[in-house]
Amino acid sequence: MTIKSRHSRFSAIAVVTALVFSASAVATPAQAAQKRLTIGFVVHVIGNPFIQQIVEAAQMAARDLNVKLLVTGPAGAEGDAQLTAVQNLAASGVDGIATSVPAASMVKGLNTIIKAGTPIVMFNGLGEGVNGPYVGEKSVESGRLLGKMVLEKIGGTTAKGDVIVGNCYPGFPVLENRQRGVLESLAKASGVKIIGPSDVKVDSAANFAAWQGLLAANPKALAMVGLCAPDVESIGKVNAAAKSSSAIGGGYDLTIGNLEALANGTAHISLGQTPFVQGYLPVQVLVDSIRNKIKINKPGFLDSGTEIVTATKVIEPFGSAPLTFKALQKMSASKAVTRKYYDPIVKGYIKDWQKNLKPIADESA
Amino acid sequence: MSAGAKSRRVKLPEEASVIFALLVLVGIVGALRPTFLKPENLLNLAASYSISALLAGCIVYLLSMGEIDLSFGWILNLSAVVAGLSMIAGVPVWIAIILGIGAGGFMGAINGVLTVVMRLPLIIVTLGTASIFQGLSLISNKSGSVVPTEKKLTENIFFRVLGGDIETPVPFILIFVVFAFLVLHLTLHKTRFGYRILAIGSNPEAARLAGIPTKKIKILTCTLMGVVSGIGGILFLGFRGAVDPSTGANLLLPVVAAAIIGGTPLSGGAGTVWGSLIGALIVGVIGVGIVFLGIDAVWSTLVTGLVIIFAIGVDQIVRVRKNRAS
Repeated sequence: MTIKSRHSRFSAIAVVTALVFSASAVATPAQAAQKRLTIGFVVHVIGNPFIQQIVEAAQMAARDLNVKLLVTGPAGAEGDAQLTAVQNLAASGVDGIATSVPAASMVKGLNTIIKAGTPIVMFNGLGEGVNGPYVGEKSVESGRLLGKMVLEKIGGTTAKGDVIVGNCYPGFPVLENRQRGVLESLAKASGVKIIGPSDVKVDSAANFAAWQGLLAANPKALAMVGLCAPDVESIGKVNAAAKSSSAIGGGYDLTIGNLEALANGTAHISLGQTPFVQGYLPVQVLVDSIRNKIKINKPGFLDSGTEIVTATKVIEPFGSAPLTFKALQKMSASKAVTRKYYDPIVKGYIKDWQKNLKPIADESA
Repeated sequence: MSAGAKSRRVKLPEEASVIFALLVLVGIVGALRPTFLKPENLLNLAASYSISALLAGCIVYLLSMGEIDLSFGWILNLSAVVAGLSMIAGVPVWIAIILGIGAGGFMGAINGVLTVVMRLPLIIVTLGTASIFQGLSLISNKSGSVVPTEKKLTENIFFRVLGGDIETPVPFILIFVVFAFLVLHLTLHKTRFGYRILAIGSNPEAARLAGIPTKKIKILTCTLMGVVSGIGGILFLGFRGAVDPSTGANLLLPVVAAAIIGGTPLSGGAGTVWGSLIGALIVGVIGVGIVFLGIDAVWSTLVTGLVIIFAIGVDQIVRVRKNRAS
């Protein structure tokens, strides 16, 4: 090998890497052209359909508010990797950061960043003790609601039989709160025996397998209740496969797969936590607070609302326009339709977030 | 080339190739985003990756022995849980720390004993024990985070320095880890224990016939991995102030990647502790670089893979050149 060719190889590799590494950085026209705010948006898992709905809403907010949005997050949900991503964003000089907080070990690090002057808004996963507002559902209350609706479907307080409860991420605070609420409501029927809560995993294939196993072990279960986004779709498929099953399926989130399960009758209830608000509102709060120098360095709660969906009924929060199930399905598949539907909320509830900011204790009331 | 020219050649350290790959990566990110090169940034970011670096330094021992441990992330987790719960129960902090590290050593020893008794590769044994340690952690922490009271952590000088409450020019965790690397390096390359590990990795049967107590060395090495994972757990608890049910879940890939990128072969018989530190820094720079350059999350996994291949490629080119030259 000659010296010349060695140098050429190194140079070529370096150039290729620089191009790969800077693909978005160099190509983005906004970099040098204007001083726009840059907001970091950190999710706890990449590639989850529900989380993607939140990301898309945040991107809509960034476009509406003319800010640059950097989305990042670990491939697998793990607090330390996520905190590192937040720290990297802060070190890179972003103006504000929105992040979910799935782990208590993130709290100290986040407060250090806030103390150093970078505002942080939490969404979807609450870190107790973080000095910033949190956008999310009333987690215990939504669990109570889901438990109550499931109980009504299986015969009310006189129901007798097994109800399987699955938690895809034991220890995740919001899920633990939902679980608490579900169990509270189901406990009103003394004849209902809770199977679980079992770890049904977050990965969709593992989630399906877990529910399949649970139903196989408890074929006469009255209901299967999940707490995470993949559950309703999995429960629907499991119910469809086990022809003898008449178990009521209930869970969370309005992904396309979950809505299909409701539509074909293999699952029955899904509560939405308004991903549009969870994505849009943190960006709005950060941009407003930075532009108008509003201090947001203390805990607070902004309710993202709960959507109640069955095959025959759709109830949206904040007095939104009535929706049919078909309209909801159309919305879940189209960003433009979603943005249009939520326009009154953007101009009302979201714009007036300062009026709607509540004490953090309201989240788990 | 003449013999005189050969003797004048400066002998590059084994890790020269990965150091070069690291410098190239830092240079690229720094050239595109100069703020990346601020010393404060670099030190803080290095501190963030120091625990996985420490584990990479120790997994080199196992790789050198031709083994791999899949359970160390959960040993770290459970050790931190043991220490945290002990503190919550009122056990003095220093004793809680010893209990946590001891728990790590115990779990590592279990791995070692099972490997020897069952005559199975460590990778197979730790497939099971990883799940056992995770399960024990979930049972112990009741599926929730373990957060020792602020007072417990802030009153103890070790945790105050570790958590950054007492500021040091260089993050303390970084100093600690570099010192640990020095010890790990000297142990692997300057002690009989280290030579034996390398001998087992090179040819287990030959090592046994040469009178090396292979079973004992395996158990001791697994115990060492457990102790270092336990120390990692304590560092995590001090650095972050809490341990979560998911802590340690995703350490396996970056840690093993760091050791392999650093130049330790999977085939055993050789290993570089310092190389694994550089490998961990490469993994860290890739993660940080992606954020600094604003690469979207959807692209980041692909880019991470491409840059790892690039780093390994640069390492390999330099290594081949060095071998040809020597």
